[in-house]
Amino acid sequence: MTAAPPGIAGISAIAYALPAQQRSLRELHALGQLESDPALLEQFGFSHVYVAEEETPYSLALEAARALLHEYSVAPDSIDTLLYCGTPSVAFAAAGSAVDATSHISSTQRFQYPATRLQYDLDLECVSTFALDQLACTSLFSAVRVARALVETGDARRVLCVSSEFFPVGAGREAIYNCTADAACAVLVDHSADRNRILASAHTTKGYYWQGDAMRNEIVASYFPTAKHVIEETLRRARWRPDEVTWVIPHNISIRSWEILLGLTGIPRERLWCRNIARIGHTLAGDNFINLRDAVSDGSVRPGDRLLLFSYGYGAHWTALALEA
Amino acid sequence: MSADHSILVTGATGLLGRDVLARLLAADSRLRAFVLVRDLGRWCRTARELGSERRVIPVHGDLCADGLGMEPNARAAICRDVTAIIHLAADTTFSSPLDRARAVNTLGTQRVLEIADDCETSVRVAYVSTAFVAGRRTGVIAEDLQAANAGWVNAYEQSKYEAERLVMDQAASWVILRSSTVVCDDVSGEVTQTNAVHRALNLYRHGLVAMMPGVVGSTVDAVTTAFVADGIARLALRSDASGKVVHLCAGEGALPLVELLDITYERWATNPAWRKRGIVRPAITDLTTYSLFERTIAQVGDPSLKRIAGALSHFVPHLALPKRFDTTNADALLGRGAPRVRDFWIPMLDHMHAQGAASPIARVA
Repeated sequence: MTAAPPGIAGISAIAYALPAQQRSLRELHALGQLESDPALLEQFGFSHVYVAEEETPYSLALEAARALLHEYSVAPDSIDTLLYCGTPSVAFAAAGSAVDATSHISSTQRFQYPATRLQYDLDLECVSTFALDQLACTSLFSAVRVARALVETGDARRVLCVSSEFFPVGAGREAIYNCTADAACAVLVDHSADRNRILASAHTTKGYYWQGDAMRNEIVASYFPTAKHVIEETLRRARWRPDEVTWVIPHNISIRSWEILLGLTGIPRERLWCRNIARIGHTLAGDNFINLRDAVSDGSVRPGDRLLLFSYGYGAHWTALALEA
Repeated sequence: MSADHSILVTGATGLLGRDVLARLLAADSRLRAFVLVRDLGRWCRTARELGSERRVIPVHGDLCADGLGMEPNARAAICRDVTAIIHLAADTTFSSPLDRARAVNTLGTQRVLEIADDCETSVRVAYVSTAFVAGRRTGVIAEDLQAANAGWVNAYEQSKYEAERLVMDQAASWVILRSSTVVCDDVSGEVTQTNAVHRALNLYRHGLVAMMPGVVGSTVDAVTTAFVADGIARLALRSDASGKVVHLCAGEGALPLVELLDITYERWATNPAWRKRGIVRPAITDLTTYSLFERTIAQVGDPSLKRIAGALSHFVPHLALPKRFDTTNADALLGRGAPRVRDFWIPMLDHMHAQGAASPIARVA
């Protein structure tokens, strides 16, 4: 993979939608939705998470995508590809109910897909639509990588990527000492973006770790060296040194884990933009792009900044992007 | 030597001590040896292997007991006959707490020195130590007394350092023989006795080592039993080694850490089934980051991960404290250097693999 020529592919717009309900760690603990002591999770940087009660994955996906089109004045007919990632079988059920999922996949309801409905509801009359699955927290990264490839090969000019990830009502809100949240995020990959040009990417999949629960220790051990490798490969492709990264835009996992990973890669720890770990929690696929939008909004990220986005997806995938803001 | 003479050997039932004793007996037909043994049953097995029972007199005793716990008659015979003591016995467990390590290694050495002091003739004390008494020092580690210390990675090293000081201060004649980490029997790579290095390699092979501390220039110094035993047997009684510290180490033949991880990985990767797993080399990082990882595992790891991190913590910090053991004395006295690590590392890996690898988690328990 080579660095993209200037102006070829970049992220021109990001919008996201969060559920109305926000819960503190203490509240989640009282509801029995945490495995660990809240005090320990607070040490790791968590404070609150957004929890969907009334919303459906689809309703938030639609809200995020509509917000993107509206805020950035994107004409629906200027988009030629729609890429959806999330859990389709529960996309229309309130808070992603697992019980509803069973009835969905046992009938022709299973063919009622959020991707096609999104195309209809957003009036995206000209788009070809498809979906990505089984990539866990790296699904939106993968959508952006596919979008970049489509744009660079001339198969598309403007690709709307939408992710929406929920946990069912009452489900645990902790995954290996990370507090999980519900959210949807929409990202527009454009052939002529002025900002957030995609300079490089790298992705590693290790199918050996497909049984996450059975191989927990192996995954913990492989996470850091593989993450280091993927980040270094991305930096090499972008032709950046570690100390040239202006901001690391993270997935919202434990700050402790990030401190270790930054120590391994030689990127100064103060370059981690981590404000949303406490405010939002880990939204699975949306984190990095939600954070990118907020980092731009609060003035942290300025044009020309060098941004490194990294995420890990259970199952197991390691992925990173190098963006020029 | 022209007349019968006697020595006292401690640690003769250990892998190294047995080899040393066999070499001494083979080299000198007039040599008699008292061997201090804690477990007579274990000694019987060693004696059968040695096949020189008439010249070797087992004496029941214990380094941790006053007077080494010997019967008065045995002690009297030793004090009357012995002209040299080769003190190999030690608690080499890296994870031992300081009081336990001191009880065996430091106080045990003090008791050996008291026996030496009670002997009728001036006794040479050959103390078998570890090169890692250098502890947290970095750079070239000379074969000399260490006036200042920089602290230690584990209590074993500290207790051996303290024992060295006792030997130098109290023995009328001494030689300190500091061994590097023994990882296999000889250059064939055969492994008779496993230790922390093998357990760490086993964890690496199973994809359970996330990272190791290290810096540019970090090396791994390791030796074979044959080299160390030969060195001890040849130098323990030699007069020209008196008052010297000798490093029985790879020295210049140590292997850079990165190269060691690479050649190990490449060797295992010749097995397609292993390569398919996608196990990666441990990341090499600074001590600060490694300590943060260790602390995190201690906080949140499951019991087996905690055991793994705990087992590694007693020696891997050395990898971030780069040092090269000077072997000037050893090279001059022995007339040759140690085998280079890269000459026996791959055969050793092959032997480990051939012996089969049990659950690495169980083995660090």
